[in-house]
Amino acid sequence: MIYQAIGLQKQFDNGKVAALRGLDLEIRQGEFVAIVGQSGCGKSTLLQMLGALDKPSAGTLKYRGNSIPDLPDPAAYRAQQIGFVFQAFHLLPTFTVLENVQIPMFGGNLSRPQRKAGAAELLESVGLGHRFNHYPSELSGGERQRVAIARGLANKPGVVLADEPTGNLDSESALQIIDLLLDLHRKLGVTLVLVTHDLSIAARASRIIRMKDGRVISDQATPTN
Amino acid sequence: MTFFTIVLRSLTRRPVRTGLTLVGISIGIAAVVTLVGMAWGYEKGVANQLDAVGTDVVVSNMSGGLMPKVFNESLKAKVATLPRVVDATSILMQMLSVEDAPIMMISGREWGGFAWQKMSLLEGRMPKNAAEKAVVLGTLAAEVLKKKVGDTVQIEVEELPVVGIVDGHALMENGTIFLSLKVMQEVTGNDGKINFVNIRAIPNTSKAQINQLCRDIHGIFPEGRAMVSTEVVGTSQGFRVIRAISWSTSLLAIIVGVLGVMNTMLMTVFERTHEIGILLAVGWRRRRIVAMVLCESALLGLLGGLVGVGLGVLGLVTLGASPGVRGFIEPDLNPQLMLISIAISVVVGVISGLYPAWRSSRLTPSVALQS
Repeated sequence: MIYQAIGLQKQFDNGKVAALRGLDLEIRQGEFVAIVGQSGCGKSTLLQMLGALDKPSAGTLKYRGNSIPDLPDPAAYRAQQIGFVFQAFHLLPTFTVLENVQIPMFGGNLSRPQRKAGAAELLESVGLGHRFNHYPSELSGGERQRVAIARGLANKPGVVLADEPTGNLDSESALQIIDLLLDLHRKLGVTLVLVTHDLSIAARASRIIRMKDGRVISDQATPTN
Repeated sequence: MTFFTIVLRSLTRRPVRTGLTLVGISIGIAAVVTLVGMAWGYEKGVANQLDAVGTDVVVSNMSGGLMPKVFNESLKAKVATLPRVVDATSILMQMLSVEDAPIMMISGREWGGFAWQKMSLLEGRMPKNAAEKAVVLGTLAAEVLKKKVGDTVQIEVEELPVVGIVDGHALMENGTIFLSLKVMQEVTGNDGKINFVNIRAIPNTSKAQINQLCRDIHGIFPEGRAMVSTEVVGTSQGFRVIRAISWSTSLLAIIVGVLGVMNTMLMTVFERTHEIGILLAVGWRRRRIVAMVLCESALLGLLGGLVGVGLGVLGLVTLGASPGVRGFIEPDLNPQLMLISIAISVVVGVISGLYPAWRSSRLTPSVALQS
């Protein structure tokens, strides 16, 4: 079991807004899980809890048996275990593509040439070998998301958390990004947790979790995958 | 790409703002270098002058600011009889505006006293006697006043002929107008008054004996002070005031610099909240983010310090050459002062970055990402 949530709750504004209301969930190693639901159902909040970007208000949330809110070094967890891919790409505008991919590598023991070579390899693998010295503003949406994926894989994480990765893309780019993520999932064996409200994308996952009002309302394996 | 690249990139992304911040901090540092350099230069000049004249102990009423208040010349005779005193000479020294020069040192020296002996005559002659109404000029004084032997110099209401040009072997001596004490007293309306007695002690007098001599002098001249010449600069009230003014003015300039850097750093932290969120999300430790912000502000400080020292040196050189200062203060282009100034600037940078760095490290990644 890679993730286990029991009775997970998250409130905002001093309890006035409840995003998660006692959510139970288990995710196994190597799964491709799609989390679907309407906006405001708490799926992005859940992803933030999984990635230790925020702390739950109540309940248990464990990563490989260790409580995520109590991790002694959440930064190391985010750096080493998790790769994030966001809807808004979240690239650093003043750094080139090659530099953006190196940003997560600063915590490790890699030398400067090793960081550069690693980033170059990752960018080649997402098909951006020709874009090293471009700035994010010079790229298309699909290309930016590829950079973000390469950055997410910078430290060879076991888990990729993708929050609406195709939400800002046209349908063709969206398909390419999903293909790329699926490809990485298969080749690298990473656990892929993908939040989306696009059911056609969710259908490509091995398992679909539906959320409503901060709880899981259905959890089913997709037979075709 | 290194950590330093990241630090540098955030300073170069807004060149105008970074430039203006640098101007702010460098003005502060330039003020330190210029003002303190002038004060140190003045102190050094006085110390050199006493050395050039060959004085061991100076007696004066030090409470009167830069130029001490006058006292009765009869003191000299009393002081001269004290043990270990080999020679004593009376001086009446004033700073006055002379013709076009805004401020000039004018030294009326007891005719025949040792204060006259160390200067070397370059042109013309020395005054003939104590009563001759004539002056000799130090080389710089002659240059500043544009006078040569045969011209006259107007001091107060008297026109006095220049009879000689002398080398006094120290900047302050060379910037001085010399005349006989009698004439000086007459011209400035200080009959029977002096404001310095310079004393030479027997050669090889120990420090303790000199100090005893100072105490003896204090005994017969309680309202005045006797000081070992090497300590005059350190203890004089006038110098303390100059030092305090130069440092406090500099401090104000530095505070303005601090506020400038702090404002800039706060703005960069605010506007980069989102980016800091990204850094946290990809696993940067808060420590590293604090280090990044502090390095940025320290770098601002360092650059500001370098520019400021450059401006300060320029200021010192310009001031040193200006008519009011030339021959009077030799600005102190002291490498130690420059290093101190750069160090101050870096510290200023780091201090200014503390609050912004602390703020940035308090961000919750998920909240920062949404901004």
